[in-house]
Amino acid sequence: MTAVLDDLIHPDKVHGSLYTDQAIFADELRKIWYTTWVFVGHESEVPQANDYVRKRLGLQDVVMTRDKDGEVHLLLNRCAHRGNQVCDDDKGNSGSFRCPYHGWTYRNTGELLGYPYNQGYGGKNKLELGMGKVPRVASYQGFVFGSFAAEGPSLIEHLGAAAGEIDRLVGLSPEGRVGLSAGWLQHKTKANWKLLAENETDGYHPQFVHGSIFGVTGSPIGALYSDSSTAVTRNLGNGHSENDLRPEFRKFDEPMRWFGTTADRVPDYVAAMRETHGEDAERRMIEGAPHVMIFPNLFIAEIQVFNIQPVAVGECIQYATAVQLAGGGELNKRMISQSIGSVGPAGMLLADDTEMYERNQRGVETLTPEWLDVRRGLHREQVDENGFTIGTATDETGMRGFWAHYKTLMEA
Amino acid sequence: MTLPGANDRPVGLVENEFASVSVRIDGDGNSARLRVEDLRTGEARFLDPLQLEALVHLVDERLDQLLDPSADRWRHDS
Ligand code: FES
Ligand SMILES: [Fe+2]
Repeated sequence: MTAVLDDLIHPDKVHGSLYTDQAIFADELRKIWYTTWVFVGHESEVPQANDYVRKRLGLQDVVMTRDKDGEVHLLLNRCAHRGNQVCDDDKGNSGSFRCPYHGWTYRNTGELLGYPYNQGYGGKNKLELGMGKVPRVASYQGFVFGSFAAEGPSLIEHLGAAAGEIDRLVGLSPEGRVGLSAGWLQHKTKANWKLLAENETDGYHPQFVHGSIFGVTGSPIGALYSDSSTAVTRNLGNGHSENDLRPEFRKFDEPMRWFGTTADRVPDYVAAMRETHGEDAERRMIEGAPHVMIFPNLFIAEIQVFNIQPVAVGECIQYATAVQLAGGGELNKRMISQSIGSVGPAGMLLADDTEMYERNQRGVETLTPEWLDVRRGLHREQVDENGFTIGTATDETGMRGFWAHYKTLMEA
Repeated sequence: MTLPGANDRPVGLVENEFASVSVRIDGDGNSARLRVEDLRTGEARFLDPLQLEALVHLVDERLDQLLDPSADRWRHDS
């Protein structure tokens, strides 16, 4: 694969077959989705002991459970007897799961509790079997990740600088916690997952693709993605990247401008922030929430979170939900309505992006020109005070960071 | 003389994808007891306050043993 990838991934261009080749997709499943840390869900989705939710990790059907002691597990939804699917509901509460095929029963930690007519196995507790588990599960600020590699970098190592972006989001909660419990919208998308991951911090497209929503809502965000903007695109390492809009928001110096509102329109939230964070509340409310793509599938887009999971080489699902800030008061309701307005069934933001993803997929399936260009801003990249490569708001610095890490994983 | 069940207080349905159980507080006896019905088989049983109290204090391992399908229900001798 190494030699092949060297041919396909260059600093300034990537080959179209990366988005269409079945063999490459199979390799990605092995080397990325079933190796590295992948975002699965949030602890707030299983708030009570014995809660569970169905999730995806790559092509895997996963049950995220919270056991009676509060620990979160990622079980593979497959019976150890003859492989039947064990859980069928999207969510529920149960300390144990009974397979509908022959009645084998498991604790919600995956351990086998028993099976009917046990004489057929010589009695009870005779089988060293259980449901499969994602070998490593870890969470950061409640965001739950799974890794199929029994060993490797820790979640903290994988997140690296991106952890600070999650902290920024959580720092907008007066109670220092976020929840992702508003429910997930599911958008089936006929495009390779990488087109989405690359687009999430592409600051070059918003003025074109999102012109209509910016126009209708009178949003000031569009202007942040222009050549005169002081916002930067930052390669955070490990494939993560962000559009850092803080330089622009600092210029305006207006709390809640990042949310498209003013402090007096969300008085309870602002009061709660000042109560908890004192002097620092203003900075937090001026700088706002992160816009960060965490490799390979977690996109935090200020007010909402996306979980991208592949389905096939040319198809993926985008799960989207509104962020809920603990103690967020009236802001939470607004976050839900803004989120519905952008990514809901009639939302105006994600529909536009998805149209581009699907057209992009159809485009790359044609044979020439064979390459996708990712050189924008290569000549004007800089290194910031923390050693990260940055480009301007519209540069493809994030994509180049994505591909560098992709290559490392695929060559491993 | 009242009809059986006339003094019942329905508590509700407790169900998930694995089981459906209806629960009522039965008032036909001389004091209250719980009537629990497995809606998938129609079988029901009464649990009196002391039995319920015992359930509350059952250690988890004992409860797990009850969940073994071979423990009481799908047995070679049943
Ligand atoms: S396949 Fe699950 S009990 Fe047989
Ligand atoms: Fe977009």
